Amino acid sequence: MKQKLEIWVFGDYRNYFQNRVTLQLIGKAVELAKEIKATVCAVVIGHELDEWIGEYIAHGARRVYVVEDPVLKEYDAATYAFLTARLAEVHKPDILLVGATSFGREFAPRVAKRLKTGLTADCVGLAIDQDSLLVQTAPSFGGNLLADIVTPKQRPQMATVRPGIFREIPHNYEAKGKIIRMPLPIDLSSRRLRLRKSERQPHQSKKLEDAAIVICSGRGIGSRKKFNNLYELAGLTDAEVGATRPLVYAGWAGHDSLVGQAGKIIRPKILFSFGVSGAIQHTAAVNDAEFIIAVNKNPKATMMKMADVAIVADAGQVCSALIRELKKRIR
Amino acid sequence: MEMVVCIKQVPMVSELPWDPATGTLKRDLAEGMMNPACRHALEAALQLKARHGGRITALTMGPPMAEEVLRQALALGADQGFLISDPAMAGSDTFVTSFILATAVKKYCPNFDLVLCGCYTTDSETAQVGPQLAEELDLPAAAFVEEIAKKKNCLIVKRLSDGFIETLEMDLPGLVTVSTRHYAPRYFSLAGIEDAFPDAAPIRTLSAVDLGLERGSIGVQASPTRIVNVYTSRTEKQNVILRGAPKQIVEELLDRFGDRIGGAMGKDIEK
Amino acid sequence: MSGIIPCMKHQIVRKAVREFAESELGPIAHDIDRDARFPWEVVEKMRPLNFFGLQTPREYGGAALDTISYAIAIEEVSRVSAAMGLCLTVHNSVGIYPIVRFGTKKQKERFLPDLAGGKRIGGFCLTEANAGSDAGGVETHAVRDGDSYILNGTKIFVTNGGICTTPLIFATMNPADMRKGFSVFIVEKETPGFSVGEIEDLCGMRANPVSSLFFEDCRVPADNLLGRPGEGLKIGLIALDTGRLGIAAQALGIAQAAFEAAVKYAKERHQFGQPVSANQTIQNYLADMVTEIDAARLLLYRGCALKDAGKPFSAEAAMAKLYCSGLAVRVSTTAVQIHGGYGYSKEYDVERYFRDAKVTEIYEGTSEVQRMVIARSVLSAPT
Repeated sequence: MKQKLEIWVFGDYRNYFQNRVTLQLIGKAVELAKEIKATVCAVVIGHELDEWIGEYIAHGARRVYVVEDPVLKEYDAATYAFLTARLAEVHKPDILLVGATSFGREFAPRVAKRLKTGLTADCVGLAIDQDSLLVQTAPSFGGNLLADIVTPKQRPQMATVRPGIFREIPHNYEAKGKIIRMPLPIDLSSRRLRLRKSERQPHQSKKLEDAAIVICSGRGIGSRKKFNNLYELAGLTDAEVGATRPLVYAGWAGHDSLVGQAGKIIRPKILFSFGVSGAIQHTAAVNDAEFIIAVNKNPKATMMKMADVAIVADAGQVCSALIRELKKRIR
Repeated sequence: MEMVVCIKQVPMVSELPWDPATGTLKRDLAEGMMNPACRHALEAALQLKARHGGRITALTMGPPMAEEVLRQALALGADQGFLISDPAMAGSDTFVTSFILATAVKKYCPNFDLVLCGCYTTDSETAQVGPQLAEELDLPAAAFVEEIAKKKNCLIVKRLSDGFIETLEMDLPGLVTVSTRHYAPRYFSLAGIEDAFPDAAPIRTLSAVDLGLERGSIGVQASPTRIVNVYTSRTEKQNVILRGAPKQIVEELLDRFGDRIGGAMGKDIEK
Repeated sequence: MSGIIPCMKHQIVRKAVREFAESELGPIAHDIDRDARFPWEVVEKMRPLNFFGLQTPREYGGAALDTISYAIAIEEVSRVSAAMGLCLTVHNSVGIYPIVRFGTKKQKERFLPDLAGGKRIGGFCLTEANAGSDAGGVETHAVRDGDSYILNGTKIFVTNGGICTTPLIFATMNPADMRKGFSVFIVEKETPGFSVGEIEDLCGMRANPVSSLFFEDCRVPADNLLGRPGEGLKIGLIALDTGRLGIAAQALGIAQAAFEAAVKYAKERHQFGQPVSANQTIQNYLADMVTEIDAARLLLYRGCALKDAGKPFSAEAAMAKLYCSGLAVRVSTTAVQIHGGYGYSKEYDVERYFRDAKVTEIYEGTSEVQRMVIARSVLSAPT
């Protein structure tokens, strides 16, 4: 008899309360499982795992594979990859999903390599096609292009998935799930990468990251004086001011203000983008803004294409006009 | 310290035509540049070399024009370069690419202490080749590393991982993928560029045959993943375009979206 | 002949210099022009990258670039800031090259490392109130006094005037027969009697501190005489040949920048419901601009390649300078035209290109002088 297919979700429980990606993936897996008649499973590795096992079952996992041991207390990509691959070799999942956290993006490629299978990075979409293949949608070129990728032959089909894309299912603590434990294999080698110190990132100024409104400027703003006008606009709108790399290099704004892959990644409710052409390093960092208002003389600038409102005009002039108009209208 | 830096040439433009026949990007249409994160990785290697001595080998895989990134690496201070180039390798995904790179490292730089990669590339952004190369070479590895220091036979690396600042001790030989935060790359010196073009350039091109690779083990046919479609992500976005005099634009903007803007700032904006 | 198809090295030089210029000069180019400010902070960053010793031999700390690479470097800096390109070309060509070519070993060891390292800035002082195109009118004179020469006179419109610390001064030792005694001196700014006049308020190239230099009983060691007494004209003409390649490259950079701005604007600016680039007249402008720029570039690289091959290139350098400078004026004028009213506004960079371009037809030999050089070569050729 053909065994029922399994969709696995890697249990990335670090930062559980902020990082909901595992629950989001279980939610998505439940949806996908209906189409290919599969069982949704979670994989949990570490020490003192009962809380997470319970959470995953409550959120939709029907089976949980567990490797639990004090030596697994610390997150370690190599060890966790070794164990996950070992589990997969035995139980042969059809799909393995991993949250695209820093850890997930380091861990998943190693698992895929061990299992000699394909892996799609940082997916923003998952679907099942007519051949029951998992279609994985991944961004490239800083989100300017999307690629649909499949793994036709090798199994499992693997993807890391960007947090915040899918919805978690509301918990149901009555739900039941089967727990399958694997003992620590004797051939687990000693760690060659040892954690010496780990501290929570001090609560540094996350003003840009947390701001509801961000005003970002690029070279198209024209001059330092006009750039400085943006601070007046920021004052009016309770916004934070960010800058692209050329402006930071020119000393118009500090490195703390750099919005880009080498600086701050932002996800404001509203992004005002003044005179930003949209280099990849920058667009990747603002991709998650909810609503983008871009001002640029060039309607074809990448940033203008990304924008919800594209204003074809001089950035400096629009900034001044907006300041005047807001002064009249803000109550 | 013997170091190998893996460098990818990426297109300078952000949007490239896609070839539906092969499912890959038409890279030959764009000017190439050294992938920024790879340049940070090279910078990290150069700083380690300045401090501890040693040699830097730059390794790239790509079309013949990718020789340019090796010359650039020499110009910045690398000692030698290998260009892995073979039409049979076209379309290799990260699984196959890491296999090919590992084969070259084993054959041509077997005595390395450290492999450095950029943490991701600006074109495909998978961040997968580094960790997969570590598996192929059976190395300890740390991804998204920000600072590297050598201590006896170990490397002390610092990185930011999911909100934790981690300090890790890594045995050597090992592998790191370098983030774009810490190691701001130096500019090219013109004398450096001149030095990258000596009469006998320390650059070697390696084909599949040189690496002893079977045709069936490389390229698109050996790659587990298939790209079935590539498209512009924002094309469906029905955006509002405003033109005209700044004052009119701003009035229209606030008339139509004042609620949304006001909502985000927690204030009312009059219609 | 090299240069027709760019080789990998030249492409890397172009990308490297472009990256630097766009990152470091791009954000300030407009402001330094407006404020007539020389950007020392950028000089600081240029020093270790060999921008001040582009072709200086390696043993003196230079990059020893070939001349096409040199032209590319000047073009790319000038594309972003023509005033900075001017500083570099004057420093590297007419400022340093004569010392490389005619200096004694001792002079080279003494002056080149600091010049090539950018610790000291070079200059070339020929023009005077009554001498410009006609070097024969030079009135600055040098009188031998023991182990020194004593210089008296005034040089005007000195590029890098306000910043040069090791300029070359043309003076005559024989006021009766100016040509016979025409000589070149390496003069250090610290020498008593050396003073700098007010910075000129010029139409373009405003970030370059052009000024007069005054010499009042300025006592220069006899060791600072470059070449032999009376070799001034020869040294000057050879220096200017190489300098013209640099000015041609500078003009080409301005033309390139103006062209790129014009293309960008023509695609952005909408009139009658379509971008102005849809208009055939604009298309014709752009087609002519790019064709001329390409032709100019090849003409310039030909001159550079001849120089590197050790062949005569005087007429070819003059042709490159004549053509590239005229091109810069034409292209920047058309670029302003394509921009319409905005092109006449200081808001847009084309206005700066337009102002910067004109002087390339004037300095280091006016276009009229270039034609004279070219015609002389045509007429003296055996028939």
